[in-house]
Amino acid sequence: MPDIVAIEKAGQFVSERGRKDGAAYCDFRAVAVTAESVRLADGKPDLINRKVSFGYGIRALVNGAWGFAAVSDLGMDSVKATLKEAIEIARASGKLAPAPVQWPVLAPVKGEYKTPVQRDPFGVPLKEKAGFLQQMDEILRRTPGINSTSAFLDFRREEKWFYSSEGSVIRQTIVHSGGGFTAAAKKSRREVGERSFPTSGGQHGAGGYEIITGLGMEAAAPVVAEEAVALLTAPSLPERRTNLILSGDLVSLQIHESIGHPLELDRVFGSERNFSGTSFATTDNLRSLKYASESVTVKADPTAPGGLGTFGYDDEGIPARASALIENGVLVDYLSSRETAARLDRQSTGAMRAESWSDLPLVRMTNINLVPGQGTLDQLIADTPDGVLIATPANWSIDDRRENFQLGGEIAWEIKNGQRGQIFKNAVYSGTTVEFWNSCDRICGPEEWRIWGTPSCGKGQPGQNMRTGQGAAPARFTNVKVGQPA
Amino acid sequence: MTPSKDQILTALEGAVKRSAADGTELVYMGVRDATTRFAENGIHQNMVSADGRAIVRLVKDGRVAVSTTNDLSAEGLDRAITDAMEIASFLAPDEGFPGFANSETAPAVATFFRGTNQCLPERRAGAVADIVSMARAAGVQSSGLFRLTTNRVAVVNSQGTRQFHEETVAELSVSASDDASLGQGWSTGVSHDIAQLDVKSLGRIAVDKAVRSRHPEVIPAGEYTVILEPAAVGQLLLFLGFLAFSGKSFAEGRGVLSGKIGSSVTGANITIEDDPFLSVFPGLPFDYEGVPKRKIVLIENGVARGVAHDRRSAKQAGTESTGHALPADNPRGPYPKNITLLPGNASMDDMIASTPKGLLITHFWYINYLNPMKAQVSGSTRDGTFLIENGKITRPVHNLRATPAILDTFAHAELIGRDRVLYPQYSTALYVPAMKITAMPFVEDKE
Repeated sequence: MPDIVAIEKAGQFVSERGRKDGAAYCDFRAVAVTAESVRLADGKPDLINRKVSFGYGIRALVNGAWGFAAVSDLGMDSVKATLKEAIEIARASGKLAPAPVQWPVLAPVKGEYKTPVQRDPFGVPLKEKAGFLQQMDEILRRTPGINSTSAFLDFRREEKWFYSSEGSVIRQTIVHSGGGFTAAAKKSRREVGERSFPTSGGQHGAGGYEIITGLGMEAAAPVVAEEAVALLTAPSLPERRTNLILSGDLVSLQIHESIGHPLELDRVFGSERNFSGTSFATTDNLRSLKYASESVTVKADPTAPGGLGTFGYDDEGIPARASALIENGVLVDYLSSRETAARLDRQSTGAMRAESWSDLPLVRMTNINLVPGQGTLDQLIADTPDGVLIATPANWSIDDRRENFQLGGEIAWEIKNGQRGQIFKNAVYSGTTVEFWNSCDRICGPEEWRIWGTPSCGKGQPGQNMRTGQGAAPARFTNVKVGQPA
Repeated sequence: MTPSKDQILTALEGAVKRSAADGTELVYMGVRDATTRFAENGIHQNMVSADGRAIVRLVKDGRVAVSTTNDLSAEGLDRAITDAMEIASFLAPDEGFPGFANSETAPAVATFFRGTNQCLPERRAGAVADIVSMARAAGVQSSGLFRLTTNRVAVVNSQGTRQFHEETVAELSVSASDDASLGQGWSTGVSHDIAQLDVKSLGRIAVDKAVRSRHPEVIPAGEYTVILEPAAVGQLLLFLGFLAFSGKSFAEGRGVLSGKIGSSVTGANITIEDDPFLSVFPGLPFDYEGVPKRKIVLIENGVARGVAHDRRSAKQAGTESTGHALPADNPRGPYPKNITLLPGNASMDDMIASTPKGLLITHFWYINYLNPMKAQVSGSTRDGTFLIENGKITRPVHNLRATPAILDTFAHAELIGRDRVLYPQYSTALYVPAMKITAMPFVEDKE
């Protein structure tokens, strides 16, 4: 645990001294991270690792341009030198700034936020965690044909201290827990059937060890193992246009790639052009683009409990609030920061987030939640005379304007006369963002809805891996191209 | 304050000596990162950060555990060792653990350049200003990255291994664009020595391409002859590497080359190596277990020859480490970080002139696996795609989604470029030529 008195002293110093040294605004963000990863392959430890990291970053706005400097040394000499460096960098930026940063006045924010945790995951003995994963291996191997398994648990506690020259003082403790398993039936290198649970890469959320015990991994294991074995001999999904039902976790991925990313306002303004790309959803489309069908409403909601994008304040000190991005199919807002929102004369949606203390905050997804509709997945299938159900993300790619995509699931079922039929592997589908979302004609209800966690969303240079959430339920899309040519 | 080489090695050695484990390894990874990003013809992000972390790996009664800290004080390192000892106490003995390396000191490589290390933000801004001027003159927007890093790696273990390496890396990436006409261009360069980066040349390439790719036309999906610029070849090679060149997946029978050593896997004109000693961009001379790196022939004239090993995968495969271990907190196993594809004898003009109909591709975006069993990927073209007709570049075309199976694609390499370009991606240096491929599939993708 870092020296809290020293952090508070450094934060106060920077927030008061920055303006005297020429910054129109500055902030200090210290972050201490403790992480634990327990990974088993075939029931044996693959990697069990604990990480701790502490440091702080100082952001300074001088002459309408930004500078940022970050180190881990909390001595006051280091704090002073880091503030000076941030200001000097900002001055250099100012010589070639695109346009002076608009920085509306913000009233000081003082607050504290803690992720509600029922059972501290760092208090759970490693023996219990490893034992649970070994048990998963044993359960999966009871299914004939399963000859390879992996299972993991990940935990992360992030403590943050934020001070700004506007007088904001914020303290947050955010706890994330996640886990999952994979079962494979392997005959040869090319003949493999593989399934994951709860989704590929596991399910992650804000909370304690209760998240792990609530995943239902033991109960799901036999069915998941059976599906892996069935995939070993399943044919590839043939190419055709049809009704497509996506599982909730695939809807989550679809939201992430084709709604979340294109609506990051820094990206829309071109900040990520050199790496992640731009967006087709330019600002002239605001309040006019029919992004999706009327049944689609999407909200950015960092206040929603349990998501990887759940917090009390973003990394600019903006209190978390829910804001609609797409309302009844129409584009109504973007994920934004103070600077980018000001360019549209809007309020920040509180989406500035940095992976670590050493990274600049960027506009990132929080929890991007598709408002649920009605009914269960079984009812949706029953109401579908002809189509395909694809489940669990396996592959994904989308162009640099977030328009054309090709995604795939681990498994597909043919749907005929309202019932699941044959299983397929290599279950890809493709489309264009606006056409695809406008073809959404049914979304399942709250009983099927959950916030899926994406623990490694890449953006920025140097690259940052953000932890985002997407609230989703299974949904149906019409006339979608599925499969590949034989 | 950045610790000196002696301070780092002394700190690691002290911690190894104090450890109560049967064997202990400490790896230090320090980075100072000074990055200027620009967009809309101006600097919008500008930063410096410095961090150093130590990765402890230890063995106690045959049990192996890992912990990581960026607290490099004696107390911080001891806490990390205590953490790892606690983890180890819960584990079963690790039968695959090969023990720690007892390695000779790797030969020093000249990869540290003071000019790169000490470049001030004003100079970075000056370089960006040159690019912005070029873009404005052409009526396009520029954006990009000018990144200077100083990386330091040290490995110390209880077997007596003691390695230290310091390098600087200067990387410039430039995009140019004209949104109204959908013109896009891009270029990138990397060197240990900032003085070797030709800022104006890289700016000119991106700007010229953005101007030439204005008003692209839509062309139908299907199979095309393609000329891949080096970056596009590098991107395919990188993803092939993930699937094919790791000793871990190879030893576990999951790798594309598993069971195929000595067999033909792609075209006879394809030779792929991992060469950490390339004069154009030498890499880390030892790996994260402290084992000196070796050059590996991965594919020779189309025939699978080898993969990258760390000590664990080498033991499993019954061979020796090639010096390609990644840090112990990385579960992916060994990986080559200096991949080269040997050049042919064609010029870019030769490739274009010999093509009755085809596409010239600058690079790809968001390549991801489509069918890993077949080394098949999916990704869209980006930043300048052009139609070639009757041996000439005739017009720009809209981006397309390619779905190549990489080894099959390389088997269709009719011509290989004689000039190679250094292309950095995801901490891997790829040194690659352009290629003319006679058949690459593209799927329907509406713009």
